[in-house]
Amino acid sequence: MRLYVVKRLAQALGVLWAAYTVSFLVLDYLPGDPVSAMAGAGADTGQVDPAQLAALRHEYGFDKPILAQYADYLGRAVRGDFGDSVSTGRPVTATLADALPQTLQLTGAALLLAVFLGGGLAVLATYTTRRWLRQLLLSLPPLGVSVPTFWVGLVLVELFSFRTRLFPAFGNDGLRGLVLPAVTLAVPTGALVAQVLAKSLFTALDQAYVETARAKGAGRLRIRLRHALRNASLPALTVVGLLAGQLIAGSVVVETVFSRDGLGRVTAAAVTVQDIPLVQGVVVFGALIFVAANLIVDLVYPLLDPRIVVAASRKVRPA
Amino acid sequence: MSRTLADGATAGTAGTAGTAEAVGPVGAVEAAAGLARPVEPGIDPGPANAGRGVGPRRFLLFLLRRPGLLASVLVLVLVVLAAFWPGLFTSQDPLHGVPAENFRSPGGGHWFGTDELGRDVFSRVVHGAQLSLKATLIAVGFAFVVGGLIGLVAGFVGRWVEDVLMRFVDVLLSIPSLFLSLALVTALGYGTVKVAVAVGIASVAGFARVTRAEVLRVRQAVFVEASRSCGARWYSVLGRHVLPNAAGPVIVLATLEFGAAILAVSSLSFLGYGAPPPAPEWGTLISDGRNYLANAWWLTALPGLAIAATGLATNRIARALDGEWSRQR
Amino acid sequence: MTAHPDSRTPRWAALAALVTGSLVLSACSSSGSGSSSGEGGSPKPGGTLTFAVGSDAGCVDPQQVGSNDTIYSLRQVVDSLTDQDPKTGKIVPWLAKSWDISSDTTTFTFHLRSGVTFSDGTPLTAQVVKDNFDAVPKLGALGTLAQGYLSGVESTTAVDPLTVRVRFQQPNAQFLQATATHSLGIESSASVHRSPQEKCSKGVVGSGPFVLSAYVQNQSITLAKRAEYAWGSSLWTKQGEAYLDKLVFKVVPEAGVRTGSLQSGQVDAIGSVGRANEAALKGGAVNLQARANPGVVFNLGLNNSRPLFKDAKVRQAILFAIDRQQIVDAVFPTGTEPATSILAHTTPDYAYLGSDLAFDAAKAKSLLDAAGWKAGSDGVRVKDGKKLSLTVKWFANAATNQPALELIQQQLKAVGVEVVLKQLQIAQFSPTLQSGDFDAVWGNVTRADPDILRSSYSTRLANFYHLPAGPLDTALTRQAATTDAAKRKQLVTQAQQLIVKNAYVVPVVELQTQLGVAKKVHNLDFEASSRIQLHDTWIG
Repeated sequence: MRLYVVKRLAQALGVLWAAYTVSFLVLDYLPGDPVSAMAGAGADTGQVDPAQLAALRHEYGFDKPILAQYADYLGRAVRGDFGDSVSTGRPVTATLADALPQTLQLTGAALLLAVFLGGGLAVLATYTTRRWLRQLLLSLPPLGVSVPTFWVGLVLVELFSFRTRLFPAFGNDGLRGLVLPAVTLAVPTGALVAQVLAKSLFTALDQAYVETARAKGAGRLRIRLRHALRNASLPALTVVGLLAGQLIAGSVVVETVFSRDGLGRVTAAAVTVQDIPLVQGVVVFGALIFVAANLIVDLVYPLLDPRIVVAASRKVRPA
Repeated sequence: MSRTLADGATAGTAGTAGTAEAVGPVGAVEAAAGLARPVEPGIDPGPANAGRGVGPRRFLLFLLRRPGLLASVLVLVLVVLAAFWPGLFTSQDPLHGVPAENFRSPGGGHWFGTDELGRDVFSRVVHGAQLSLKATLIAVGFAFVVGGLIGLVAGFVGRWVEDVLMRFVDVLLSIPSLFLSLALVTALGYGTVKVAVAVGIASVAGFARVTRAEVLRVRQAVFVEASRSCGARWYSVLGRHVLPNAAGPVIVLATLEFGAAILAVSSLSFLGYGAPPPAPEWGTLISDGRNYLANAWWLTALPGLAIAATGLATNRIARALDGEWSRQR
Repeated sequence: MTAHPDSRTPRWAALAALVTGSLVLSACSSSGSGSSSGEGGSPKPGGTLTFAVGSDAGCVDPQQVGSNDTIYSLRQVVDSLTDQDPKTGKIVPWLAKSWDISSDTTTFTFHLRSGVTFSDGTPLTAQVVKDNFDAVPKLGALGTLAQGYLSGVESTTAVDPLTVRVRFQQPNAQFLQATATHSLGIESSASVHRSPQEKCSKGVVGSGPFVLSAYVQNQSITLAKRAEYAWGSSLWTKQGEAYLDKLVFKVVPEAGVRTGSLQSGQVDAIGSVGRANEAALKGGAVNLQARANPGVVFNLGLNNSRPLFKDAKVRQAILFAIDRQQIVDAVFPTGTEPATSILAHTTPDYAYLGSDLAFDAAKAKSLLDAAGWKAGSDGVRVKDGKKLSLTVKWFANAATNQPALELIQQQLKAVGVEVVLKQLQIAQFSPTLQSGDFDAVWGNVTRADPDILRSSYSTRLANFYHLPAGPLDTALTRQAATTDAAKRKQLVTQAQQLIVKNAYVVPVVELQTQLGVAKKVHNLDFEASSRIQLHDTWIG
């Protein structure tokens, strides 16, 4: 067991390191001259003369060979220092930390909604004996993943903010302001949850223990909630990492639609002004969330299903 | 039961018992893409042979029994027609408006109404299909070629090459694809093609994984083993056996990815990274319409329907390709 | 400094020159539904005003910012030496209780009010004003406006703790009005000594009725009332501190969302209401307040150093190809005037040149034909294998910009000119101008003094549009130096004619600021440059 944990940790760190490297290659190496890009885009740097440009280049270490730059940057990144935002001059980590609570609120609320609605839909779809209802319910998740999130948001604003004035159209004001953005973000997420859960519920209902329960006279709903759902949620856990990534990425669009402060809006603004250190910080942060979510699932999983450890120690890196 | 299952849920998530396969970023993505089919040697891949040796009448019957699928095919055909021959649908200039006729609500003269400069929104959506579909095709094509190549090489060559390539793919998978696209847009700059490439690169990993899995599966299949033992050269094995048999699931993934890429491309153009005005990219149309949300709902709602319909249609077709059609045979 | 003989001259002598011209300003507030002042009961102190603006300039230093959306908030943080009456254009006391101007308008002596403090507790002294005026020219491109107002300054001297004297190398008639602008708002000594970048990102300490309490880039600017404020402009009705406790300026980029939020009561006021959203706002619990901005109208600022624009015929063709009335009718708020000069009609010494700016597509085509640009296969003209194409860089600082430009694009296409639109961040405005890396830039400059022409187009100053040196320079320099009102008017008229006839830049439409204000908000008033003052504003 301990070996499994250590291996998974090392693997997670490895992926993070590699994600950092990819973002470094894309952002710092791909543009011909990141400093010119920064100088042109820097929100308050104004006119930059060649001397200033050289100074900037030196400050950011772009006058060094690429490998030295990389080592330098990586060293700082390990200590949690991603440099300063080019447009605001604030440290990247502080900028992200400030924006994070708002985004966590949004993604947390969206996740709750997604799990309840998506899970409810899946259970109802397996519960109902009416064919048309089942077909209808099962056709909703594909719809949820196909409609553009930003469009859902705008339609909700139009209906519930402008027409009926139930909820504010933008901003971070309290619980009421959270409703529309959270619902918007929950649509694609809930659809994913419903798809995965419905699939594994149907599988679980074919299993022997369900037959046993049925034979013992357990009710339809009881079978689904007590027996099948418990077993069906195990495989559904595997998409948690994907969900986390999807939620964080979805917040970029949702926060833009609702002019909500948060990580997503910081990201969109950073891309717009080509704030390279900030974009890099966001990318690595996204990878961190994704890797962490998967790591947690991997570490919790053996506790729920002991078979895993055996399988995992045989084959550490599932390919 | 099984039918309903294929209709609603993603096909082929990792099974309950084989959970170890599904743990980690790798399994998660496959589960979501609905393509983590068990790698069982010797079994003829289902969808790979789809469409071969089947009469058109049978195909038509198959479609007719599924009105949803039929509608999806129709929608996609319309979108493709609009992208290549917009003149079939509208004769109005998408870029030239009559300012005096701005903000007309949808009606006879203008099916989708007119925008702030009196341009016909329907015509803009139709012509926008060209830009958005082009971007989507570039994105999927890029991911298909590059990802497919990586997967093919990894699966066919094996050894350390496979290790290196697949670890790289794992890393790509670990960065949420929108963030990867955004990073690429930051580096590459704005524009339809650049956005398309950014989305394409972000989807490379999925193709690489599926291609490799298929190549591995087919390689171990009995008939491949047989032809190798008969002394066939590697390229002939690759060309005659491995590629045709591995292509099916990859094509299914391409269809699925097409729907995802439409969303990704339009999200990026919604965020303002697409073509500059007056180009009527779908995402841009919606983004511009936001300025008139209070007085002209049709500027955002109707282009959004176009995206949703296209995405839904490809999704439905992909599921049909993946499950129903092969089972039907 | 020795005493100046000319400081004996009557205080208002030079001012008369400005005032006579400025009387035009009284026409300003005639359009729109007017100010909300004086309605509904007695003023109540307290409360928070939430104001949705469309953009953020990325900087919170009033001396550097030129974008209206951001000035709305920053104007409340700093006081100026003088204030300008929006009705009469007259310059009145604020931080300076009086002033003397030498008869040749080279020397300005301000007598400061005593007892004024900055929000960091330090007092306002002549030295602080001197520090400000010494620092402003060093802002360079970062503070184009402020720097232009002080161009040609020879020295600023603290004569005694409450007397400051500014001396110019040449006569500088515009300077008194300049001291009324936000650009020359007085900042505390500590602020002045910071780097421009630091002032931008962290804000400045002023003596104004509100204090900057939080700035989140691209999201919001929050101001809190300054309790001990007691040195308001002589134009304000309330003595002492402001009514409102807190001001929150939220950045909401989409005009539609701003409109909807005002309708639903989520915000109390919004900026930049275009024509499209007027109907939605009329009749509800909202007043539309409009006021024409004086200064340089919205124009395509051509880069005259580009080979394409060295040919006057091409510039003129563009000028004639634009149907200004069509743009006004489709995009801009009701009551907006198409450009009839490079100056807005509310600017002192404006001259009507409407017939030179009339839409004439046939003339545009024949000019382009004459210049050798022949119709190409795709409708875009070509010459020597090159397409007649120009890139217009623009900034999302008003909701009307994009539709206006798309319409211009459409109109120019009709005569065979291809326009590519490139949107930049507002913060990139001055770097773009400074670097000269543009074919054309879309923008305007608000100022209630015709000297804005000199700041913008004199080849002796920044000359962002790379105009050739010539008679225009002479006219611009001489109008700044003259103290004779009639003479100045004639020179300013001549300058306007030179700019329009040569089409150095292409005037398109005047800016009319239109705000949507909830009816419960009272006394949200325009100042002379059509920005707002919120000291007297109350919610009831």
